[in-house]
Amino acid sequence: MSASTKWFISLVFLIVGFMVAIQFQSMAGEPEVRETRDQWEIREALQEQQDRQQELLTQISEADSVIDNYNEKSNQENIGALKESIQKLEQDVGLTEATGSGVELSVEVIFTEGPEVEEYPSLSPELLTRLINDLNTFGATEIAVGNERITNLTAIRLVNGSTYVNNRPLPSLPLSIKVLSDNPNKLADYIQTSQSKELYAIENMDIKTNQRKELTLPEYEDPLRLGILQANN
Amino acid sequence: MWLPILFLIIGISLGFLTDIRVPEEYASYLSIAVLAAFDTLFGGVRAYLENKFDEIIFLTGFFFNITLAAALAFLGVQLGVDLYLAAIFAFGVRLFQNIASIRRHLIDQRLINKKLEKNNRN
Repeated sequence: MSASTKWFISLVFLIVGFMVAIQFQSMAGEPEVRETRDQWEIREALQEQQDRQQELLTQISEADSVIDNYNEKSNQENIGALKESIQKLEQDVGLTEATGSGVELSVEVIFTEGPEVEEYPSLSPELLTRLINDLNTFGATEIAVGNERITNLTAIRLVNGSTYVNNRPLPSLPLSIKVLSDNPNKLADYIQTSQSKELYAIENMDIKTNQRKELTLPEYEDPLRLGILQANN
Repeated sequence: MWLPILFLIIGISLGFLTDIRVPEEYASYLSIAVLAAFDTLFGGVRAYLENKFDEIIFLTGFFFNITLAAALAFLGVQLGVDLYLAAIFAFGVRLFQNIASIRRHLIDQRLINKKLEKNNRN
């Protein structure tokens, strides 16, 4: 065997070894994911978890106090406590009227003078959803669009070309949206500078805000359909 | 004789040190290439023991088998037929045959050596 052949064969062995090692490594599974977050990101994550813990603790203490109420009071009072919690739940869901400080938004049409005839704008479900998302982001506690209370089960849909909220069509513009908030001033400011306002302006609509000390939102009237919900064991 | 084994060790350590991973969809190509390489290696050892070893056949066989196996696997993927199974089957059978014949050769050689020793003593 000549020297060059020997080297060639050695090279073949090198390649074989390399391939086997790579194959072995590939079959061995994914490498463990390394921690790449910096200090601030970890602090933020920690903060988030702490907030969540705080929230859960608050919920636990609330539930505990309800249990205490049930235990301490007599039968007659038990019913009272039950009714109270049902009322609280109904309030949370939106089955009762809600009163408080808030902002009344009115979505109006911007008329621009021009030679071409403009279409009368209508509020599309996308725009309305966007505005509601914005409102929730800005700290709205309760929202009512027109006479329709927005609940967790509210559907905003496009039916035959018109926007339906809670399975009822919205009236044409101008439309009033009532929003309850703990800090109406800030909410109004946020809305004035929000992207929703710009998007509405593109569609020839303007959002005007009026702050109200006392604002009453209508209740959600339909029965709650909870067929899709399941008990969490 | 020791040079190839040394290079094999170097190759293995290089592969482990570089931390290269083949994506899952190409894993079958590599596995079949490894099988083809093993087949060629054992074939080479067998040919060496049978005194039929030819460098050019060995080298061309190595690269050609690997390429053919990968191409067959690729064609199988394109056609939706598991053609790589055919390659695995062929190489697997040949691997066993080669190893069996290597074993036989080694045993035969030992028997011959023993007989020769006996004859020498007598």
